[in-house]
Amino acid sequence: MRWWRAWWSTPATFRIGTAIIAVFVAMAAIGTYVLPYDPAQIGTGKPLEGPSLSHLFGTDQLGRDVFSRSVAAARVDVLVSFLGAAGGLVAGAFLGLFSGFIRGPIDEILQRLNEALISIPFLILGLLLLTVLGPYFRGEPIAVVFVLTLIYLPRVARMARSAAIEIAARDFVTIARLRKQRPFTIIWRELAPNAAGVLLVEFAIRAGYAPILVGTLGFLGFGVKPPTPEWGLMISSNRNLMVVAPHTVLGPGLMLTLFVIGLNLFTEGLARLVGRSARTGAA
Amino acid sequence: MNDRPLLDASDITVSYRHEGRWLTAVRAAGFSLSANEVLGFAGESGSGKSTLVGQTLGYRHPNARIDSGRLLFRGRDVLGMDERDLRQLRGNRIALVPQNPTTSLSPGMRAGAQIAEVLTAHDFDGGRVALRDRLAELFRLTGLDGVEGMARRYPHQLSGGQQQRLMIAMALACRPDVVVLDEPTTGLDTTTQKQVLDLLRRLKTTTRMSMLYVTHDLAVLSEIADRVGIMYAGQVVEIAPADVLYSAPRHPYTIGLLGSRPLPGAPAGGRSEPLRGLLRRDQLPPGCPFQPRCAFSAPSCRDTPQALVEFAPGHAVACQRHELVAARTSAPRVAVAPKPTDREAAAPLLELDGVSLGYRGGGFLARPRPVVRDISLAIRAGETLALVGESGSGKSTVARGISGLLSPLAGRIRYSGTPLAPLLRQRALAACRDIQYVFQNPDASLNPRMRVGRILEQPLEVFFRDDAATRRRKITAALESVQLDSTYASRYPDQLSGGERQRVAIARAMIVEPALFLCDEVLSALDVSVQAHIVELLDQLKRSRRIAMLFISHDLAVVRVLADRVAVLFHGMLVEEGPAAEVFAPPYHPYTLSLFNAVPGSKAVTLRAPPATTPPPEVEIDGGCTFAARCPVRIGPLCNTKAPPPRRTLNGSTIHCHHELGALATIGGTAGQIMEQGRA
Repeated sequence: MRWWRAWWSTPATFRIGTAIIAVFVAMAAIGTYVLPYDPAQIGTGKPLEGPSLSHLFGTDQLGRDVFSRSVAAARVDVLVSFLGAAGGLVAGAFLGLFSGFIRGPIDEILQRLNEALISIPFLILGLLLLTVLGPYFRGEPIAVVFVLTLIYLPRVARMARSAAIEIAARDFVTIARLRKQRPFTIIWRELAPNAAGVLLVEFAIRAGYAPILVGTLGFLGFGVKPPTPEWGLMISSNRNLMVVAPHTVLGPGLMLTLFVIGLNLFTEGLARLVGRSARTGAA
Repeated sequence: MNDRPLLDASDITVSYRHEGRWLTAVRAAGFSLSANEVLGFAGESGSGKSTLVGQTLGYRHPNARIDSGRLLFRGRDVLGMDERDLRQLRGNRIALVPQNPTTSLSPGMRAGAQIAEVLTAHDFDGGRVALRDRLAELFRLTGLDGVEGMARRYPHQLSGGQQQRLMIAMALACRPDVVVLDEPTTGLDTTTQKQVLDLLRRLKTTTRMSMLYVTHDLAVLSEIADRVGIMYAGQVVEIAPADVLYSAPRHPYTIGLLGSRPLPGAPAGGRSEPLRGLLRRDQLPPGCPFQPRCAFSAPSCRDTPQALVEFAPGHAVACQRHELVAARTSAPRVAVAPKPTDREAAAPLLELDGVSLGYRGGGFLARPRPVVRDISLAIRAGETLALVGESGSGKSTVARGISGLLSPLAGRIRYSGTPLAPLLRQRALAACRDIQYVFQNPDASLNPRMRVGRILEQPLEVFFRDDAATRRRKITAALESVQLDSTYASRYPDQLSGGERQRVAIARAMIVEPALFLCDEVLSALDVSVQAHIVELLDQLKRSRRIAMLFISHDLAVVRVLADRVAVLFHGMLVEEGPAAEVFAPPYHPYTLSLFNAVPGSKAVTLRAPPATTPPPEVEIDGGCTFAARCPVRIGPLCNTKAPPPRRTLNGSTIHCHHELGALATIGGTAGQIMEQGRA
């Protein structure tokens, strides 16, 4: 009962965003089991058939069901986006909080490295990394996760560092210092919980961009390997048919757009929710 | 001259909406203000005093609603005015001086432009020359004419006192009839506060304006108000001429408020009972709102609403039992036994020997500028040393140096006979345990994401190897020692009041059984009635556990209650040090005397520090006395160039001054006698 009321008192954007994300997570989890067709099966209908009741998004060049493929692609896209953003958050938060807490020369060095990483356009950085990783890793979802982590790390770290500097100036941190507690203990117990609100919103923002990045990498042919259903890859491989059979591109495009909108609504609501609780003091 | 008051408010009730419910902030309150009169309103925070006087400016918060009332200004009802009429009224006829000048002044606008804006907004028609003349006149009125290039300064180039003067100048710009002052001196230190109060008193006679003065500090009102109204839970509970209210208060709440804050004139030993409990808006009885906290209440008080009744000319009180209260409180108060003095012989617990401290500023290679210079102090076990001085004098820096947060530039700190390492990193864990720091602001010193129990558990984990059961027991004991019950352990800091938070902060320091407390302005963030409780608590802990304290404060009244010894700092230099009784008696250092004179409520002004416009001494002092630039009895160039020699009095205090002790005794003569009477 209390949970129900708390849920309805959250911002509407937060509720709608959460609902959309929930649908995509469900698709990623059980999509392949309830689909009308096997996403890899060729010739489920005539090639390039338009949308109909049996093929909601129509079929592609090989007669594969675009709807089934778009839903199945959620597995890779959702998982890779979340893992990438989470990786960037954890690594970035750790580095940023540490750097902002200890200050001094180590902080300076870390910040310069950070700036160097940020100054490289992220797409170029991503392509560079995938090239360096070599053909063995390229095409594996884990490689995309790794790239995402490295792209987000410096951006999150910067955010975390400024939060850490602000919190470290407060008296309760001074008290902990006067107890001679270890820096990592102080970071974990005093800094991290107080930076959690900021970092949570930061995570949501990053997660909101992640699917676009995954799609872009896929579109450029640097994402996952071709037979795997993935939105960016599907748009890329069907782009020549855009004029003849727009539904082949529209299906995955629609999914990608919807997911990003859901994430952004969620983020906006979350930011307001966190801001509100910070103001009223409710934990 | 007509006899109708300038402002006449009656039966004003204002509510605020909070989470969908309407809560009454001001309940059927009224007052009147005559021409050239200063009416003060006092009460704890949340008593509705700001809301009440805010109505004179037609202040309407979107979340507020005026339920009833009438507020006549020269016969016109302010509450019924529309926005256009209000704009004509505000700033023009009734002006406001808000609490915090730093947030009220526009940071990107020069001082002159800010005042000019007020004038032009109210149709000042005289052209540029007249505008400039009016500016000069306002600066002269507020004592800002001595500041170089005042009109072209930005707010950040002004001191706190000057900023508040600028706010006052803005309020006076249109020659208003009434000036509303909402806690105008709360953010200022005592010396600056004194200067602002002097200014206001002068303005009252020169401009013949009326003032509505809102503050939580009754001592401040005693300096300036003609009449004083006391508010509690939205009601005016007592209103009387100032001298009557201070000498013969009738409402139990007024009596409690006066008892909460030791006034300089009151006997030091015989503290009256401070107020019990807290104002709980959710637990107000239908009758007298003060009943739950009242020591004089009868069963009928709970259900009988108390109306303000004028029982003597000008003196009204909202208490059905006020006659009985008056009879009972006029009995002489019992004096507390004198403090033990057997500590003189004991070896010092903490010794500072020629310590200088400073912060590294500016560039990478810049030499640290000393904030505190060549200080020697000693604290014995169980003894309280108060460190007093205005803000910026380096009091907190001394505490930071002792705690190891700041490494001394010169000098040595010894703790129970052995040298203390300058940096925390090099100190033994035991030394860290023995010296505990309590900060000014409990909001910042407690981790908001940690439960109270966990906050108290952390020091135990670091300093002791207890098992879980022992820890729990110690936490309960620590909470009880600060008069909180064990259920508080499961709460988060934001579920506590300010006073409770400060108790938790003290409990966290207590729990490790320290030998020395560094209390850095621990009271200044708290409400007056809460302050009294914390003072009592510290006094109790000091007696029962023999904890030594370095008590940093700018509040001399509290210092007199708590301190065994007092050290006076001015701009990083120790000017006087000795047993409290000695420092509070002549001979005085000229700065100490000016500090005493600055205490609101002390009428003993025999010598004044130069007027407020004198900037703080930023002149390069070549090893001379830092107070020289402001000293009223300066000898000459000697003071600027040579460090004043320490002079020891017969009773064990030390004064750093070029004057002989005999000469110092005479300059503070009258003031000294009055302070003496206070102690006797």
